Amino acid sequence: MVTLTESHTRSNFERVLQKAGRLTLRLLLALSLIAAITFVFFGHVNATSVGFFYLVAILVIATAGGLVEATVASIIAMLCFNFFFLPPIGTFTIADPQNWVALFAFLTTALTASQLSARLKRQRKEAQDRQQEMERLYALSRAILLTDTTQPSAKQIAHQIVNVFACPAVALHDRSANEIYLDGPEALPDIDGKLRESASRSIVTREDAGEILITPIRLGGEPIGSLALKHAFLSDAALQSLLNLVAVGLERARAQEEVNRAQVARQSEELKSTLLDALAHEFKTPLTSIKAVTTDLLSNPDESLSQQHRGLIAIADEGADRLDRLVTEAIQLARIEGGKFQLNREVHFPSSLLSAALRQTKSHTDGRDFNLQVEDDLPLVFVDGQLIVLMITHLIDNAAKYSRPGTPIAIGAKASEKSVIIYVTDQGPGISEDEQAHIFDKFYRGSRGQHLKGTGMGLAIAREIIRAHGEEIWVRSNPGQGSEFWFSLPIAPPGSSE
Amino acid sequence: MSSGRILVVDDDPQIRRAMKATLTSRGYEVSDSRTGEEALEKLRSETFDLVLLDVNMPGIGGIETCGLIRSSSDIAIIMLTVSSSEKDKVDALDAGADDYVTKPFSMPELLARIRATLRRLPQAPDDSGLRQLALEGVAIDLSSRQVTVHDRTSRLTAKEFDLLSYFLIRPNKTISHRELLQAVWGPDYGEELEYLRVFVNRLRKKIELDPSHPRFLVTDAWAGYRFHLPTKEIRK
Repeated sequence: MVTLTESHTRSNFERVLQKAGRLTLRLLLALSLIAAITFVFFGHVNATSVGFFYLVAILVIATAGGLVEATVASIIAMLCFNFFFLPPIGTFTIADPQNWVALFAFLTTALTASQLSARLKRQRKEAQDRQQEMERLYALSRAILLTDTTQPSAKQIAHQIVNVFACPAVALHDRSANEIYLDGPEALPDIDGKLRESASRSIVTREDAGEILITPIRLGGEPIGSLALKHAFLSDAALQSLLNLVAVGLERARAQEEVNRAQVARQSEELKSTLLDALAHEFKTPLTSIKAVTTDLLSNPDESLSQQHRGLIAIADEGADRLDRLVTEAIQLARIEGGKFQLNREVHFPSSLLSAALRQTKSHTDGRDFNLQVEDDLPLVFVDGQLIVLMITHLIDNAAKYSRPGTPIAIGAKASEKSVIIYVTDQGPGISEDEQAHIFDKFYRGSRGQHLKGTGMGLAIAREIIRAHGEEIWVRSNPGQGSEFWFSLPIAPPGSSE
Repeated sequence: MSSGRILVVDDDPQIRRAMKATLTSRGYEVSDSRTGEEALEKLRSETFDLVLLDVNMPGIGGIETCGLIRSSSDIAIIMLTVSSSEKDKVDALDAGADDYVTKPFSMPELLARIRATLRRLPQAPDDSGLRQLALEGVAIDLSSRQVTVHDRTSRLTAKEFDLLSYFLIRPNKTISHRELLQAVWGPDYGEELEYLRVFVNRLRKKIELDPSHPRFLVTDAWAGYRFHLPTKEIRK
């Protein structure tokens, strides 16, 4: 660290020395020009002509050199003019008052001309500097546009700033990725904390006696990172442009990354869906031939089958049914859990959803009393009808499974403030409070239900479907007094029709 | 006596075997094909009453096969699908199928569907003496099941024809979804609204000048469909 600072001081010192040397050289040249004029014209040319020659020489000096050289040359020329050409010659005194006027006019003209010329020169240099800044900014904008995906964009941008602006050290903090990238031949000690502070508090600071500039990078007023530059001799406008470029570059990289991520997610979702379809097909094809055979045999009216054979075939038939339900529900759950499935929302009558669900469950729940309680004048709901019917059938199946045969099951719908509430209640053994916390979990089955046929997925599917609609499902139960499952459905906007 | 000739198209040999055995025992004559291409070949050389067509097959799939069969024939088609999603069912019906069954199915269910699909309405239009109908730019010939709209002639499938006939003998009367389903498909039906939606659309494409703004086959929201017959209709 010490050597670094020392080398710094030394290089600074050398720079000043070099500058002074060059100035001295130019001054010597200017003075020799004045001396040459004096020497050449002394004695045989009149004062007026020599005055003009001096003026021309000063203009040349001002154009080639700078203000200092021109001013020094003006004064020396004035003294020479007075000493060698204005009578009495050989003294600094002036006899004729008119010559005072001439001398004064000469000095004023010389000084003004050198000032003007020097100003012109300074303006030209400034214009050159602006142009160079513009070219560098343009080069940087090109470089930012050409960043690729092999490395983080912020890292590439930092590297390009070093390249284009010849900065000895650059540090770039990308706030969204929470990363800091350093570049350049020199080090920036302890810069991390300062960069983060600059970004979070949106303040500009200078470190190391103004050598290091730390400034936030804002986009739409919002700080999205910060930048530290060492020895960046940039005008304010150029610095602002640089910061804007970096902001746009970072934002562009972030947007690109988001697009990529979404694409990957979509592809994996498509893959999953394709796999599920293939899986469904593979399982259901053999099930189809099994079911065709068992149902054909069982429905055969003639008496070719003995009672015993019929019983055995019925077992195979039920097994096939159960396997079919398992496969169907596993695929439903996987699809719904992906969270990316499309809700096919339409306007429905709550009552038609309930009756559709009842129709679909009738085959498994023979002989149960279903008590349908639908309030009059219920508002229409805006839901994916197929999924809602599916989840109501799961709830009805559950109610039938967990209550004694012959006990009634009530299904109903009523209006609440912002939604339509649907419920399915049974008179089964109920669910303890401990269990209520788990019943919506996948593969969880009530303690009394261990021997029951089922997949343990029905309630998990129901919950996922309701969540996808942005609504809620809940259970109310007291052990021994049955269970009530409730869920809400969104009301269709007014004026919509089925 | 055979109750009908059925062509079973499925890539799975076990399903073909099971279908053949069960359907034959119920009095149907059964032939089978492994792929859609093979089925199309067979349909060119033999006559069948009904095709049982699997949706998911290698080569040209079931949906495409169905469309190809439909382009040249109005034979009854029942599609066998694995997925029970609404979209897949509508796709099958849109391709021209008369009905679909979700795999795995029970034989009694399949047999009921086959009977319903083969079952024809009594030729009611004959009784009313309505054989040809000429309405502004649209000519419907009920004896040959042909519809001509501005020189574009298309043939109606059996189910489309039954549905249209049912409307034609009850003009200007709103008919409920349930009534239509039970009359045209059979007493086991009544809730399959997607069937009606697809078949009415298919009919509209054939008989309406502008199917998206139907003049004849109009929807009565909430209630059903109605065949709007202008009073100055021409009977022959």
